[in-house]
Amino acid sequence: MVESAIKLQSTLMREYYKYFSRYARGAKPDKKVAWVTAFTPVEILETLGMYYYYPESYAAVIAASNKEQPFLEKSEQCSLCRDCCSYSCCLEGCLELQEGPRGIPPKPDILIATNNQCNTLPNWWNILAQRFDVPLIVIDYPGESADKQQAYKYVTEQHKDLIFRLENLTGNKFDINLLEKNIQNSTESVYWWNKVAQALTKKEIKPTAIFDYISYLITQRCNSGTIELYQALYEEMKELPDADKSLIPIFWLGYPLWYHPKRYLSEFLDGFRICGSNYITWWNLDYSGSNAFEKLFSAYNYTFLNLSQKNRTERLTKQIKDSEAVCAVTLHNKSCKCDFVSAKDINIPQAELEIDMIDRNFLSLEKTKKQIDLLKETVCTH
Amino acid sequence: MKILSLSGFVPEHICDTVRFTGYSGDTAISHYCQYVADYISQVLYDNSIDGAVFPKSCDSTRIIKSYLGETRKFIFQIPVPARIDQYSTDFFANRIKEYKQALESYFGIQITDIEKRIEALNNRNKEIKLLYDNLENISYCDYLQGIHKMLVSPLFEQRVPIVKKTTSNGKRVHLAGSFLTSEEILDVLEKSGLKIVSDNLPESGRLANRKPCEIDGDIYKNISKNMLSTRLSPTQNNFNEIIERDIREIKDKEVEGVIFITQKYCEAYDYLYSVYEKKLNSEGIKSIKISQTNSEGSKKFELALEAFADMI
Repeated sequence: MVESAIKLQSTLMREYYKYFSRYARGAKPDKKVAWVTAFTPVEILETLGMYYYYPESYAAVIAASNKEQPFLEKSEQCSLCRDCCSYSCCLEGCLELQEGPRGIPPKPDILIATNNQCNTLPNWWNILAQRFDVPLIVIDYPGESADKQQAYKYVTEQHKDLIFRLENLTGNKFDINLLEKNIQNSTESVYWWNKVAQALTKKEIKPTAIFDYISYLITQRCNSGTIELYQALYEEMKELPDADKSLIPIFWLGYPLWYHPKRYLSEFLDGFRICGSNYITWWNLDYSGSNAFEKLFSAYNYTFLNLSQKNRTERLTKQIKDSEAVCAVTLHNKSCKCDFVSAKDINIPQAELEIDMIDRNFLSLEKTKKQIDLLKETVCTH
Repeated sequence: MKILSLSGFVPEHICDTVRFTGYSGDTAISHYCQYVADYISQVLYDNSIDGAVFPKSCDSTRIIKSYLGETRKFIFQIPVPARIDQYSTDFFANRIKEYKQALESYFGIQITDIEKRIEALNNRNKEIKLLYDNLENISYCDYLQGIHKMLVSPLFEQRVPIVKKTTSNGKRVHLAGSFLTSEEILDVLEKSGLKIVSDNLPESGRLANRKPCEIDGDIYKNISKNMLSTRLSPTQNNFNEIIERDIREIKDKEVEGVIFITQKYCEAYDYLYSVYEKKLNSEGIKSIKISQTNSEGSKKFELALEAFADMI
């Protein structure tokens, strides 16, 4: 079963990276290319036969390859302020220098950004639009700031407009049955991912694996290979020993640290066991509805970061309770102020760390060690 | 009722608000726009404030509500569309209508003078435009201070500032950026031998260039269209139009340099600057970016601006 999961992973990876400059050897993609943000309704793009790539995800790969610093410096030299989201700074540096661990993603024919996770990404996509001189489509998801009926009308008009524009771009005809099929694939990917992610609470598993496995849900959620991979991983994880209950269960509240070999601060967490994380649930999109457009609306308008503080708190509180965590590492991520506010009303002891998920130099190791030691002391004396 | 408003996306057409200009507060949030943090402070701790209205347009404003959750004051967030088309105009119109209804419900009032307010706003903006078109003959510092003073007053009491003519000749510059909280910078600018002849600030260039709002037809759609089609903010995600529009004005007014003023951690403007600067460079126009750290004044930019004046 292990081999099967590895084989499935490598097939998905090969498919995703085949047109990156390091592997393409000059070959041009045989379909139109979009660069998209992480919560784009890619089921529509898949239906219209497009390739789509995730610059945020590639920035994470760059940091995981220990290559982010020269790119961050380069983008700063090119006037992009270092205070901006490090995903953007890192990728802009990569594009300026025309190098990256897997080369450069294929040039986009169109850029698609959404604001259902933050308002920063559409701004970043504006820079990309200037660079590549290609059309930019921004999909505006009002979340809970408008009543459901009006939000549905507004979002669906935009989804239909997106279909119309992509039909024109690709020359392909839209097929509603194929869209339903792709949404069904995404729904199943989410279902199986959820089962895999729950292993973090129950089984002896390194968080590193979970943080890395989620990338398929982000980048290839409507690919049937992703469903197969998660089914295989689930079977594999069932065989793992149960979690060591003698360790302190701690919740990881924020992004994985992409630059870190373990994706979390393993060096400071002796005696702790990461038993849950909100990040790994962000793509558990809820595709409920009676038709394709209702499903897309439900999934993409109500992403976690697009919810009200009240609903975020409720959801997060439940996650923490289900994970049985007694404390949390909460990341004040320089690159994502929309996320760190999520933990505002969480009532368990927390070590609140100033951190960045890409820039390894941002973290003060000495201060972090003290904060986590203090957290341990607090938890152990209660 | 005294409602504190943030940003030009709050429709003045509906009711009077006090435009936030600055406050010395204790709220400090990591990597967060201090201007917005100061706004949160004033809403929370200034007892003379009855409520707050603000947009959802950038990452800082997006989460204001999370920090105001416990106050019992009137709180309303207006989601500003991240795109510009017929769908977003209609959507924004409905949000404006909801804003009016929320005010009526919370304060137990009836708002019946929107048409009258639109006429007053159209007239006011026309007067601002007259001043704006004459910037090279007046003190920009007096002009903008006058505008700021005006915006905190009720609409029907607002008086466009009377600004003395000046004969001072400095190097001609364009001011770009977000709401200018630090008026002291203007003094420094003028003392450095710089003469602001145009800008794209929300409280000046954007108001001056706003077309009159129509009264006939669906009033909310008219207001929505009027607000969204104004000279754009980077949060509306059309950098191209902002840059092209500014470059046209910069050339028309024979500007020698551009001063780009932002708030620290204001990402929308940080992203805009990274491409704005490249475009200016390609046109042979020099620029400098000034990043303000809070909504209070600062003179720390003196040296940088003097050097910039020498350079251009």
